[in-house]
Amino acid sequence: MDFTTFVKPSNGGATESDDTSKLQFWKHVKYIENHGKQEDDYEYCMTEFLRMSGIFWGVTALDIMGQLDRLDRKSIIEFVKRCQCPVSGGFAPCEGHDPHMLYTLSAIQVLAIYDALDVIDCDAVVRFVVGLQQPDGSFFGDKWGEVDNRFSFCAVATLTLLKRMEQTIDVEKAVKFVMSCCNQTDGGFGSKPGAESHAGLIYCCVGFLSLTHRLHLLDVDKLGWWLCERQLPSGGLNGRPEKLPDVCYSWWVLSSLTIMGRLHWISSEKLQQFILSCQDTETGGFSDRTGNMPDIFHTLFGIGGLSLLGHPGLKAINPTLCMPQYIIDRLGIQPQVLNQA
Amino acid sequence: MHGRVKVRTTEEERERKKKEQVLKMRAYRAAMTRIQKKRSLGELDDEMLGLTVQILLRNPDITTLWNIRRECVLRKTAELQMAMEKDEARSKQEVGKEDESDNPKVVKEDESDKPKVGEQGDGDKKAGEQKEDGTKEILAQQLQSIYKTELDLTEQCLMVNPKSYNGWHHRCWTLEQNPQADWQRELQLCNKYLKYDERNFHTWDYRRYVSDKASVPAEQELDFCTEKIKVNFSNYSSWHHRSLLLPKLYPNEQQDRPMSEHKLKEELEMVLTAAFTDPNDSSAWFYQRWLLGSGAHTEQKATVAAFRCWPHKAQLSLKRSHPELAQLTVQLISGQKTLQLQPWTSVNSEKNQWQCEQAIEIDPSQDYFLDVAGQRMQLAVQPSDQSLYYFVPPHATSSCSKELLAELQTQLQSCLDLLEYEPDSKWTLLTSALLMRAIDVSSYHEQSLTHLAKLEQVDALRQGYYQDLSARWTMEMALAKWPTSSSYPQLFELPTKMSRMPYAQYLIVADKISS
Repeated sequence: MDFTTFVKPSNGGATESDDTSKLQFWKHVKYIENHGKQEDDYEYCMTEFLRMSGIFWGVTALDIMGQLDRLDRKSIIEFVKRCQCPVSGGFAPCEGHDPHMLYTLSAIQVLAIYDALDVIDCDAVVRFVVGLQQPDGSFFGDKWGEVDNRFSFCAVATLTLLKRMEQTIDVEKAVKFVMSCCNQTDGGFGSKPGAESHAGLIYCCVGFLSLTHRLHLLDVDKLGWWLCERQLPSGGLNGRPEKLPDVCYSWWVLSSLTIMGRLHWISSEKLQQFILSCQDTETGGFSDRTGNMPDIFHTLFGIGGLSLLGHPGLKAINPTLCMPQYIIDRLGIQPQVLNQA
Repeated sequence: MHGRVKVRTTEEERERKKKEQVLKMRAYRAAMTRIQKKRSLGELDDEMLGLTVQILLRNPDITTLWNIRRECVLRKTAELQMAMEKDEARSKQEVGKEDESDNPKVVKEDESDKPKVGEQGDGDKKAGEQKEDGTKEILAQQLQSIYKTELDLTEQCLMVNPKSYNGWHHRCWTLEQNPQADWQRELQLCNKYLKYDERNFHTWDYRRYVSDKASVPAEQELDFCTEKIKVNFSNYSSWHHRSLLLPKLYPNEQQDRPMSEHKLKEELEMVLTAAFTDPNDSSAWFYQRWLLGSGAHTEQKATVAAFRCWPHKAQLSLKRSHPELAQLTVQLISGQKTLQLQPWTSVNSEKNQWQCEQAIEIDPSQDYFLDVAGQRMQLAVQPSDQSLYYFVPPHATSSCSKELLAELQTQLQSCLDLLEYEPDSKWTLLTSALLMRAIDVSSYHEQSLTHLAKLEQVDALRQGYYQDLSARWTMEMALAKWPTSSSYPQLFELPTKMSRMPYAQYLIVADKISS
């Protein structure tokens, strides 16, 4: 709640070469490269339930850094293939787990980056996504009925990457549901109707409207103001009022503002400083906040955030799909982005 | 992973932790292997429930394990259902026999009415061994105990991780399965969890879900909110909850404010007290800005900002972007003549400016009207080239009762007083500017811009925002004054010192824009 007591970047043990004001490029490459090699690592083992997303985070971050060839393309594609459920068509996070919308999008994103969408049954994926749309336009995450705007985003992102949005789901109804979650107080979105606005869900809904080309439905001035108010004196962004800053929320807010053409409403310079201060200069990788343990999730959003801010040495990232822009161009996809106005 | 501080540890400690983790990992893998094996064999039994509990208590985010538990629950309840049907069939036979013996069955039915819904049971062992009522009761109890196990588990998991999407969803799923779910108890649970963390949005979402199920009156929820806010003003979640209830309880008929003026005045009083308690806390200030705004803009109608047409083409500008304009009927009407204008193409990516190339016969002596999907506007004649035009400046101010105006003025004075002592108070600077505009845009125009200029300094992170807001207010003022200027509508003089040019679409009416 009290962000003035936020710990300043004074992590002990920093040596002269461990300068957090500069991007520790090769340490991050090493961190991500090693991530998949630690079969016996406790954290790695205990996070198998989200492995597919973990792979997406690593693959994307390395591609943004121009180092994708450090991972074994073939074995990753084989792994993804094995995770497609032969019955539902959706993807599981790893073998032995159940298919879910979240991991289906991650799988499609990984395959799109590797230009390998032809190795799986895409029609089955479309069937899976279409089958989860509800009469009110919302989407279930899987057959067990959880409704959340995250799944609306996953659905349209998956279909966009497969170029199958036309004549599959009911886009109008999907839009209507997402807009029914728009809060009049701040123009933001929560996970379902009536839910409090939250930067992560705002990214999902703004991203959803960008993919369905409906950004005109946003109250950009109202929402943009709430989003730029997420920036704290440390330069980092939080996800809701009076919360702590976080590298992943920095991405959710930054990408939403970029899509809305309002990136200039925050200080890019200060945000860049904050993201860099969250690097682990010993092991590589980024943490949520300065001085915390790094993980692969925050590493992607750290690298992705720096890319959106135009940091040199990084490839451009697409704010809507959180994937390298050249992949989006190669696929011929054009998520909507608003001009500065 | 969030909020895990990196701590330096000794080599010894690290070794110990490593050993501990190896054991945990081994146990996890063994349990997962066993679970997957059992699942493939269809063994959805008590052992399965036990195995999943071990892991879920440590890590409630493993969705698949919750799925497996749901499969177990469905299997068990289906078995109870079958036993129950058997039992029912048998008791009907018995009742039939009693009927024959002229025994009034009313009493019997009344007795068996109680456990109406969940009267199923683990029939395999017990059905047939018990007396009828006893059996039903036992079956119902067994059913409830299946649900209770799930509720207890989610409660334990949520104590470990109150932000587990899976934990909350499994709880909802379980309650949805049970026709006898105790929603009042769930409401109490929300109260308890909100005491631990009054900002947990999962708990608030759950509260909205539960209070709907339990048909809690909105008034009661509003009281709950008021209590929460009294305990701690810095609670955006609670202000948000409030913002959902008030427009329903106190609707505003003109729809130009979030709620009725009477309630609005009360809310303004309450929120300013809250905001002044800690002027650096943003929660109440956000709510205050919403109160001062014009309410929900749910209408997605195409609202015309400006229009102009010449003998060879027409231009149409909209207040807000409207990508489907081409599908709307746009007509030029004079006397008995109606001319359909089409097709429309957008001239900018915002899709708020459109053009239609068409031969249009204009007789300046006639009255002309523009009709866009049923909205009709009277057109005027441009003296310079005899073209027809329509223009309405952005932002008409909302009506304001005497009482509300007095409250706004009091609030402005309070803010200005506070600024005497704390001239750099960001929220006070912004709110006082907003109050000024709510009272009288025109007379406070310069002063409100001064506040924004000051905000650019004291809140430098958002300099770009204040610059754009300043440009917007400046342009709104210039456009509002324009129709009274002698050069209207031929010439528009662009105000100076604007970071960018908002409302550009309104200027299609002018022949020339000077800067």
